[in-house]
Amino acid sequence: MALLKMEEWYDLARETNWTPSYVTEDELYPAPMSNNYDIPVETWETFDEPYKVTYRDYVNAQRDKDVGAYSVKAALARSDFFKNASPHWKALLALHFSAVCWAEFHSASAFARITRFTRSPGMRNMATFGTLDEIRHGQIQIYFAYEFLKHDAVFDWCHKSSKTENWIIISLRHALDDIAHTRDATSAAIMLNMGLELAFTNLQFVALSADAAKCGDHTFATMLQSIQSDEARHAQIGEPIVRIMVENGKKKEAQQLVEIAFWRIWKQFSALSGIGMDYYTPLAHRENSLKDFMEEWVIGQFGRTVEALGLDLPWYWDILKKDISNFHHANQIGVYVYRATEWWRPIAATSPAEREWLEKKYPGWNETYGKCWDVISQNIRNGDYEKTVPAAPPLICNMCGLEVTGVPGDKWQAVNHHIDIDDRRYHFCSEPCKWIFEIEPSRYKGHKSIIDRVFDGTIGPEPDDFYNYMGQSPEERGTDGYEYRWVDGYDEFDNDEPLHATG
Amino acid sequence: MADFPLAINLQGDYGYKVIVVDEANTIEEVINTSVDQIVSVLVAPFPEGTILRARVHGSDEPLDNSLRVADAHFIRMEALQIYVEK
Repeated sequence: MALLKMEEWYDLARETNWTPSYVTEDELYPAPMSNNYDIPVETWETFDEPYKVTYRDYVNAQRDKDVGAYSVKAALARSDFFKNASPHWKALLALHFSAVCWAEFHSASAFARITRFTRSPGMRNMATFGTLDEIRHGQIQIYFAYEFLKHDAVFDWCHKSSKTENWIIISLRHALDDIAHTRDATSAAIMLNMGLELAFTNLQFVALSADAAKCGDHTFATMLQSIQSDEARHAQIGEPIVRIMVENGKKKEAQQLVEIAFWRIWKQFSALSGIGMDYYTPLAHRENSLKDFMEEWVIGQFGRTVEALGLDLPWYWDILKKDISNFHHANQIGVYVYRATEWWRPIAATSPAEREWLEKKYPGWNETYGKCWDVISQNIRNGDYEKTVPAAPPLICNMCGLEVTGVPGDKWQAVNHHIDIDDRRYHFCSEPCKWIFEIEPSRYKGHKSIIDRVFDGTIGPEPDDFYNYMGQSPEERGTDGYEYRWVDGYDEFDNDEPLHATG
Repeated sequence: MADFPLAINLQGDYGYKVIVVDEANTIEEVINTSVDQIVSVLVAPFPEGTILRARVHGSDEPLDNSLRVADAHFIRMEALQIYVEK
């Protein structure tokens, strides 16, 4: 019997839906989990994703991707790439793997929830593939990172980090929980797909993949490319949902969901990709800055996508255009000076040549962020390493969980936004972070930043109490990745072992 | 008297720091504590003769240096800027 061509059966299969008879619609799709936004199910059934795939083709394509990625890994397994990699690249790998692996795996549960509770059969189909994608992304990245564990115990954090109360993990987990894990299926789909995947994954997976290849880390580059091809497919879930919402009088709701998710995830990528691209990528292989990528991929491309779907550019777009030149630079200072609070070995990446690059890409960097680094560098030259660690902890934003920063140096500008609720002061790093809080204070007001926990007695008063609370033994507290041998450049030798930043 | 945390941004620093003072401290003492903890760590020493003042973030008016924290009606983690008086 001749098999049907895909186009003859595909829509019938992906549009299959049913009317429940053992339970009511509301019991099957409770509003808190589902939320049809009062749009009839017949309209949700018109969900139409641009890129369609059958399960058979999906399995074949994914298998080919895995073969590609794993064979490159196997071929390069005997190389001493990691052992010979610079502290720059090691810091980048440690940061990426320990932040991303579990986030991907957690996304699988978000997609599974979307699969179960969406009213649209087409979306149910796509979210099923998304679930499988994210399981794969979690597994492939943990497996690839596992190889490094024999060289450096920091990669234990790929698995461990999500279970700790480290301040960076609190920040990331709060953002992902907010957009993907504590929302109904429709809202989570818009927030996760539009606000995270469509907007930002190119930054971490395409830009970083290109940098990895230039650095000679082809295993990492291939792995990232294989992941991003999945993101490109399941990120398209967001667009048809937004179209349905806009066309059915729910533009305001869709707009707000995109705006909340985008800003929350921007803050995370600002730290992850911003520090990764502008500081941790070795200078010799660094071409485009975070600002370059954001202007092209996000402010340009994503902005056009948002408008093409019938939404407006987020109200804070002009704030974003300034933030891309500032926030991550300030946070890099904080990540370095508070390095013991991180589990990897942070690097300053502000040698003279690197400062020149930063000045070129961010005119004015030396008069602003550079002024803090001048003080830090001089302390290192004087051998006053203790003075490179502030005694006072930073103020942490009660939304994004990162430092409340402004502009330092000659153009000093203090930035702070706050709200008082029930005699408690909530601080925010930006207007959008505050705006998100104000939309639903009851949702956010119970959460405490790491600094709140210090001052309300949750964390004990001794220094070790702080690190123990964050899950860091003495051996897991970050130190300068270059052991302070970077202030005047990297061409130094110690016991005939060169310190190098070339890859 | 009791400890009181304040969020301080000293002129030149990249962000706010949480500095714990005593409620009995004056604003001048708050300024001095902040200088001790931040100058020469993240901010270069100020030229001799520099006068530093403190103000609540968002206000243009400096706080009286003799004002005690306990009398200032601050909320815990009040945001203050410490800036160079012109």
